[in-house]
Amino acid sequence: MSKIINFKIDGKEVTAQKGETILQVARKNDIYIPTMCYISKTSPCASCRICSVEVEGVDGFILSCNTPPTEGIEVKTNSQELELERTNIMKLYDVNHPLECGVCDKSGECDLQNMTLEFGVSQQEFSAKDQHRTVKEWGVINYDPALCIMCEKCVHVCNEVIGDDAIDVKFGGYSSSIIPKNADTLDCTFCGECIAVCPVGALVSSDFKYSANAWELSRIPSTCAHCSAGCSLEYEVKHGSDRTQNANSIYRVKNNYEFTTLCGAGRFGFDFQNSAQKDEAAFNKAVETLKSANAIRFSSMITNEEAHILQLLKEKLGVKLFNEDARLYGEFMSAYSSISGKLHHSGSLDAIKQADAAIVFGTRIATDNPMVRYALRTASQHNGAKIVYAHPMEDALMKNTATQLMKYEAGSEEGVIALLANELLQNVDIDESSRAFLDDLDLGYLEAESNIGDDELKSMSKAFTRAHKRVLIVGSDLFAHSRAKNIAKLVALIEKYTDFSLVVVPNEVNTAGVSLLCELDRDENIADVVGYNAAGDFVLSSLKEADLAMPALNQVEGSVVNVDNQVLPLNVALAFDGYNLNDLANALGMQKENTIEYTKELSTAKGFKAVAFDALENFYSVYGEDVRGYLLDEVTCEGDGKIEEVAELPEFNGTVIYHCNPVLQFNQFTNKTKQLEKDTTLRGSAQFAAAARISDGDEVEIRFASKTIKRLFKQDDELKGTIALNPSFDMTADFSQYRFEKSKIVRVV
Amino acid sequence: MKMEAFNDRNVADNGYFLVDIEDYPTDGWGKFKRVVKRSFRGELFVGLWVVMREMIRFDIHTVQYPQEKMPIGPRYRAVHQMKRLWESDTERCIGCGLCEKICISDCIRIDTKIDENSRKEVSEYTINLGRCIFCGYCAEVCPELAITHGGEYENASDQREHFILYEDMLTPIDTMKAGKQLEFEGFGSITPHEDERVKKTPLAY
Repeated sequence: MSKIINFKIDGKEVTAQKGETILQVARKNDIYIPTMCYISKTSPCASCRICSVEVEGVDGFILSCNTPPTEGIEVKTNSQELELERTNIMKLYDVNHPLECGVCDKSGECDLQNMTLEFGVSQQEFSAKDQHRTVKEWGVINYDPALCIMCEKCVHVCNEVIGDDAIDVKFGGYSSSIIPKNADTLDCTFCGECIAVCPVGALVSSDFKYSANAWELSRIPSTCAHCSAGCSLEYEVKHGSDRTQNANSIYRVKNNYEFTTLCGAGRFGFDFQNSAQKDEAAFNKAVETLKSANAIRFSSMITNEEAHILQLLKEKLGVKLFNEDARLYGEFMSAYSSISGKLHHSGSLDAIKQADAAIVFGTRIATDNPMVRYALRTASQHNGAKIVYAHPMEDALMKNTATQLMKYEAGSEEGVIALLANELLQNVDIDESSRAFLDDLDLGYLEAESNIGDDELKSMSKAFTRAHKRVLIVGSDLFAHSRAKNIAKLVALIEKYTDFSLVVVPNEVNTAGVSLLCELDRDENIADVVGYNAAGDFVLSSLKEADLAMPALNQVEGSVVNVDNQVLPLNVALAFDGYNLNDLANALGMQKENTIEYTKELSTAKGFKAVAFDALENFYSVYGEDVRGYLLDEVTCEGDGKIEEVAELPEFNGTVIYHCNPVLQFNQFTNKTKQLEKDTTLRGSAQFAAAARISDGDEVEIRFASKTIKRLFKQDDELKGTIALNPSFDMTADFSQYRFEKSKIVRVV
Repeated sequence: MKMEAFNDRNVADNGYFLVDIEDYPTDGWGKFKRVVKRSFRGELFVGLWVVMREMIRFDIHTVQYPQEKMPIGPRYRAVHQMKRLWESDTERCIGCGLCEKICISDCIRIDTKIDENSRKEVSEYTINLGRCIFCGYCAEVCPELAITHGGEYENASDQREHFILYEDMLTPIDTMKAGKQLEFEGFGSITPHEDERVKKTPLAY
């Protein structure tokens, strides 16, 4: 199917796959063609024309970035005419470009600076009347049109990769600029990817602006510690000038924008570090408490090594380990394994990017894991992927990406996945008991109760007929569902018998790792519980209030397992002077000097490799290969599980609350950061307000079965139905319960 | 000069001669004789007479430091100065941080921020002169001729903190107003024919 095209660049024999452009082939073969507006992860902007090349026998120049080669052509990347053309383009870029490199944030890493020097532009022949252009302040993003060179990278990224589609080009010749799309000011999810791709200092972070220069910052490659995507990033640190505490601080976060993407939480939410001195009294108390503790309750915001230490402590001290988030995820995955016969799900973010059909099920993905959303957007824009978004609530952020909304009733997930399985496995050869299960389904009941029509399923099948790279994405609504295990089995059934690859999106940064490394116990309300970043009688925490301060994830070395089942290294961006978990473990009789000595001891039975931490790489190659950590080995296990009958579908009536974070908020650590917006309002539709008899701006009390919380109510016109969104990043809800909850709303007067 | 002169190690033939040194006395009587001989030769008064003679003549060749000081060359590298702009009297430093980066003894610290007029403002600038080795790299790298070395070499104080004060380095505003800021003439400074060498931006629109 793939056709290979042979041709020559500068006399060198090269081959192209079908669909590749001349520029891509040249880069693969280490042939340099200068570019200004090209960015690997989007379609070519084709605005700079610097990548022009000559093709023998063809008049004029050809843009190498968007032209696929044909058999036998001879491409020339260098000639006097091309040189002149490129130099003239650079001169035009330099017309009236403010000479403020000395103060510009981009100076030192500016493409315009580099290329101006590369082409030796030292004199200007072109001129244009300068215009007064004012700096636009768009929240965390600042835009200076005077510095903008109109390469349009930001617009392409925003539209094709992020999916916000929030900025646009205002065409007007020399007075062109970037403007918010259909709005006065920028209204987007503030991922800041436009800042990352901007080749000049036009789009900059308003917090970082003028606070440091590229050459002063040291870069520390690490992994984002906010959600399960585990994005690659670089913390840029510099010492402060305060001599009394000559400590470093993080000035900004950057990503390798050519191949990776980062959401706003990663980019702007970097200041979640903890600071403490060695408090010996507290340390000794912690050791004593641990010795007599009944259990350790912890969150999944820890590294694999720490999880391993906790497991060793369990074996040594006989304590129980509580982590509902990872336990439920682990149980979901073991139910999955009992059908699929392997430990890990097959899909990855890359698989989503390359997919031409996808089903998103049981997760509000745009806020649960922005990277999956970006991958879906890329698939939709580059492959024309058909995306079915199955969820009880519409999501405005997925509106322009999803091709079909499959809205089901909250709580009916088991019925929905049974219907999906039945539809997708219709003409597939599957084992007898599963076939019998599907044949026994009461489709009428399921369709009626889950509110998914036969026509919806048929139109999905129709849209998927020509697809051959299909992905099923499931997420956190399912893990704490009362029928989670059966749902997992049905999910596994689809993965096993169709060409669907499966992506299970864990809740937290290292939910997957913790669930693999720890034998977790069911949480119970017992005495003498030590909490690690979680509630307990004695609290070890990297957050503010703690009995013993611990380092945060940007202050430790270690690894995490992300949604791709990839083990990714974290590095120390900022020093932490206090104690860490390894010190506690050593005081309790273990003997490892550093936490990372445990890296090579992680369980190979679960797919970890016996690789030392220092052997883990953390970068992307110039060709875009992901050279970060390693992928967990596939582990086969017994697949002898049986699918149970679908239970009676529960009903969620009245005012239902869905625990769901606003964009860029994930947990207490993002809640701690300076730049990220902390919107703790309960957001609901006009219909919800009417049902709950409240109105916009009311202070309300939300009464759940087990607890009561207070919130300000905000009416959101983008929402519909009687389900309201309650943020959980400030720990009003955790992952131990199903995300939809019945509630009683009372206005506080 | 040829190399032979250096390679020839036969010192006796090149005008060197051995000084006739008496043997050191070994016994007490010998030592006593030497002391008496040296004391009564009057050599002491030769030196005293030279001093007397010059004192009476009032022909003084030494510099009367600290009342009098030798002129310092324009490129002399003593305590730094921070210059102001002739046009506006504001500080020349733009906070690019190059001096901090290039400093090999790591004694410069600079903090910048955005000010209320959306301009880059240097909020803190210190040079730890206790660490500084006066190599001149900071002045050489400065794109604005803002930091230069001055001729102020008298830095003694009873407080280490006195060696890092930015205000001491900055041209005082009254000196500036009086037009008495001395321009640096060393590397990177404006040459006399600069106007003729400038490539002008075309403005024909």
